[in-house]
Amino acid sequence: MSSILISSSEEYSGKSAICIGLGKILKQRGYSVGYMKPIGNLLIDVNGVLADEDAVQMQKILELKDSINDITPILLTERLTSDALMEVEKNLDNTLIDAYSTISKDKDVVLIEGTGGIGGGAMYGLSDPQIASKLGTKILLITRYDSVFAVDRILSDYKIIQDPAMLAGVIMTDVSSSDIDNVSELVVPFLENRGIKVFGIIPQDATLRSVPICGIVEDLHAKVLSGAGHLEDLVEHYLVGAMEVNSAIKYFRRVPNCAVITGGDRSDIQLAAIEAKVKCLVLTGNLRPSEAVLGTAEEADIPVLLVRGDTMSTIERMERLIGRARIKHDVKLKRIVNLIESNIDLNSLTKAIGL
Amino acid sequence: MLEEMFNPDMIAIIGASRTEGKVGRAVVENLLNDFKGQIIPINPNADEILGLPCYPSIRDLPSYTGIDLAVIVVPAHFIPNVLKDCGLAGVKNVVVISAGFKESGAEGAKLERIVVEVAKKYGIRMVGPNCLGIIDTTSNLNASFAASMAHKGNIALMSQSGAICTATLDWADAKSVGFSKFVSLGNKADLAENDFLQVFADDDATAVIVAYLEGVKNGQEFIETARRVSKHKPIIMVKSGRTAVGSRAVSSHTGTLAGSDEAYNAAFRQSGVIRADSVEEMLDYSRAFSSQPIPRGNRIAIITNAGGLGILAADSCYENGLSLSSFDKSTIIRLRKRLPPAANFYNPVDVLGDASAQIYGYALETVLDDSNVDGIILLTSPQAVTSIDEIAKIVVEKVKLSTKPILCSFVGGTRVAAGERILNDHHIPNYPFPERAVDSMRALYSYSEIRKLVYKPPPVIEADKKIAELLFENATKQKMRTLGLESFDILNAYNIPTVATINTKTLSETVAACEEIGYPVVMKILSPDISHKSDVGGIRLNLLNAGDVERAYDTMMVNIRRYMPHARISGVQIQKMITRGKEVIIGMNRDVQFGPLLMFGLGGTYVEFLKDVSFSVAPINIDDAKHMITSIKTYPLLTGVRGEESSDIDSVIATLIKVSQMVVDFPQILEFEINPLMVLPEGQGCVAMDIRLTLKEE
Repeated sequence: MSSILISSSEEYSGKSAICIGLGKILKQRGYSVGYMKPIGNLLIDVNGVLADEDAVQMQKILELKDSINDITPILLTERLTSDALMEVEKNLDNTLIDAYSTISKDKDVVLIEGTGGIGGGAMYGLSDPQIASKLGTKILLITRYDSVFAVDRILSDYKIIQDPAMLAGVIMTDVSSSDIDNVSELVVPFLENRGIKVFGIIPQDATLRSVPICGIVEDLHAKVLSGAGHLEDLVEHYLVGAMEVNSAIKYFRRVPNCAVITGGDRSDIQLAAIEAKVKCLVLTGNLRPSEAVLGTAEEADIPVLLVRGDTMSTIERMERLIGRARIKHDVKLKRIVNLIESNIDLNSLTKAIGL
Repeated sequence: MLEEMFNPDMIAIIGASRTEGKVGRAVVENLLNDFKGQIIPINPNADEILGLPCYPSIRDLPSYTGIDLAVIVVPAHFIPNVLKDCGLAGVKNVVVISAGFKESGAEGAKLERIVVEVAKKYGIRMVGPNCLGIIDTTSNLNASFAASMAHKGNIALMSQSGAICTATLDWADAKSVGFSKFVSLGNKADLAENDFLQVFADDDATAVIVAYLEGVKNGQEFIETARRVSKHKPIIMVKSGRTAVGSRAVSSHTGTLAGSDEAYNAAFRQSGVIRADSVEEMLDYSRAFSSQPIPRGNRIAIITNAGGLGILAADSCYENGLSLSSFDKSTIIRLRKRLPPAANFYNPVDVLGDASAQIYGYALETVLDDSNVDGIILLTSPQAVTSIDEIAKIVVEKVKLSTKPILCSFVGGTRVAAGERILNDHHIPNYPFPERAVDSMRALYSYSEIRKLVYKPPPVIEADKKIAELLFENATKQKMRTLGLESFDILNAYNIPTVATINTKTLSETVAACEEIGYPVVMKILSPDISHKSDVGGIRLNLLNAGDVERAYDTMMVNIRRYMPHARISGVQIQKMITRGKEVIIGMNRDVQFGPLLMFGLGGTYVEFLKDVSFSVAPINIDDAKHMITSIKTYPLLTGVRGEESSDIDSVIATLIKVSQMVVDFPQILEFEINPLMVLPEGQGCVAMDIRLTLKEE
């Protein structure tokens, strides 16, 4: 049995996406794959049981038979943190090791997903390097390459890990097209000269950042007024329509696959958005648009969503949705698998995992 | 075209009703009042309506092939089946009065789509839905639910608003204004303005075409049709939704985007349509065209019995681009002969407050004879001794014989009413105030210019389209929607001169490029995401040596990463610094209704604030290009002010034509801008310094 701990330099760097993609690929290759997220931080209530959202989702995607309590044995509840701060002994190490031994039974490989950044969980003695050493596994570090400072983060994470042998290697994600050449020609050789294996770089990808319209409907508690047949379409960006109509249409045309947020009374903006073939319209303030506009939207097969919130709060929610949207959608699942297969040196990676 | 629709022998009213107050009854009544052909009511629940035998369905008619026109007033959801029956019964023309389609929401929109499909399948042409109906006074057809029939006349009107139809009919009744045809367009699901422009053009009874529109269905076709028709008949149009708030109201009313007002102005100008800004203006103009000849020029004579009115009219003439004619000496001598000595014998002619009808008549006749006069504005105020009705009678006489337009403004209320009535009875308009008479005169004059225009097609441009195609293919592959300096090749493909440039990726490449081009140079960031380069420190001018270049490069990269951390940067572009010349902008924005709308304006920092720009719908010819350049306020700056040398305006004309061709060749270009285009002194051409374009999603 082999295992790997997927850690990251910072939050929202793509750990879950890599776990999903890698899990799928390994399953396809015939391995029996297990998954753990030792510390759950995205708490949700599943039929009366507190669980972690990533874990629940992963259970579905990888069709895991293991119990959710073993997949995520420790949950970051308020009680847990206050006990930790008051130094109450909780025996978390045993909990972790017990769950791990249950999960790893009959598995070829277990993917262990870290929580937050690499140091997350240190106050419980369960930072990613600590967990890795307790379970005797190596670390795969995921780093979002937003600028050259990502190199600094990788190097300091390398120091945090202490034992150089524990770091299997690095995957850099979300690399913008203008940085790709620089990263592959300069950054990768630089890191490898310092003994840090780079398994690959994953370019920025609009599909991965996107959110399906039905996800917006769900998150914003929206009412669908038209285009109900297109709720699976993906939205990559959102724009706010608060300008004069002729500027609006130019602005909407420049951005692919976007949702436009505007007021229900701005029929001109709504039509400009329909004309520019945006993916969907989000109308705020619970102001129902003119029926004639809905007629045009229906003709153009564009979903019009009506939400109660004002424009400002709707923007805030959209901001949180796009770019951080979790991978649930089939198109996105396929996309991450495809990105990993075409950008990651899977042979080296599986070898490093011990497969 | 649509001959049987407007001149039918047999009409069916599907949804005819016995119940008073119902639209289905009003239509039957209207038809019964005037129509001489056969009227067949259709209603499954009645045997006869208003004495006419009634049939349950159009398919139950004994010999059903003879229906030329079906007027449909049944509820919306029945209409697909009703249309199918019409199709099976061989009916080719329908007017759908019923509402409940696109204007009523998503379900209605679906229904409208079905109705259009059914109509298409059976080759049925349809007016509406959601309209008032149609009227043709030549065939005595009132297939509408309007309250009254129109008077006979020579004005053909179409309107996208049913209310404006009914209001106009009522207004026209009061003024004895007559119409040839009257069409309420409704939702324009099938037949729309372009079709009726052609119908009205072909109609012998129609002398002037008038329209109230909230949008056009096919802008390019509209321009072609209107350009052809306006050579023969004047077209007057109101396009509402001129302002931001008005266009929003259009949007929520019709569910269509109004399109930019600049585009309408350009399209109307290019196609010879006379634009009226209000329904009042539209009716004022249409009455002038309906009753008066077209002036040969813009030299106007004013005849008045009150100095004040004459001055107002003179001011208004000046503001409208009309000139006051200088009378021939013989005219002044003739006027002196009969007019009182205190009168004014020059233009405006003041016949004085006590002028009799005979004096008015004499003055009018004298001025009409003057070959320096192209049209006359006749003003009257009711003074104690003024005999309004006598003056009106003399005007009627003169108008009948005149080959020059005479527009009257009898200003007042109760006391001028009798005169106005006489004018109305002879279909001569009276304008309640002088300015409205002058506005209408200007409309008449502008048509004399429109008639003279000879449309020359745009010159043929040689271009290497392959280069552009390749560029767009690459952009599509990379999912790029906006392109900047990296797309300079498209200009070269159309032989638009560009400044010498080299694109580089690294600092050392950049310095080498500068040495090759020769100092001074300009450095610009290459990024499809940055439209306003100077706002983020993405342009550095006048770099004189390698040291300047290195500092500029480093600070530019830092600034851009700071202000636009997510921008994709592919390097920088080095350009030869050009110091002479005037900056202008050539742009294009694809208008929702008319397509490629070209823009021209003077460049520089203040351009967005001054908005001194002109527009034309592509494709443009040389005349359009010249018009675009000369119509901006700052045009004199290009010809050179205060001893400056003139700029090479011909090269700008050539560039406009090339851009016009390019945006027509490549409909995937949604927006395009050369900013700035540096215009060099006369004979030295122009060079494009920067470019930006937005592509359609493939």
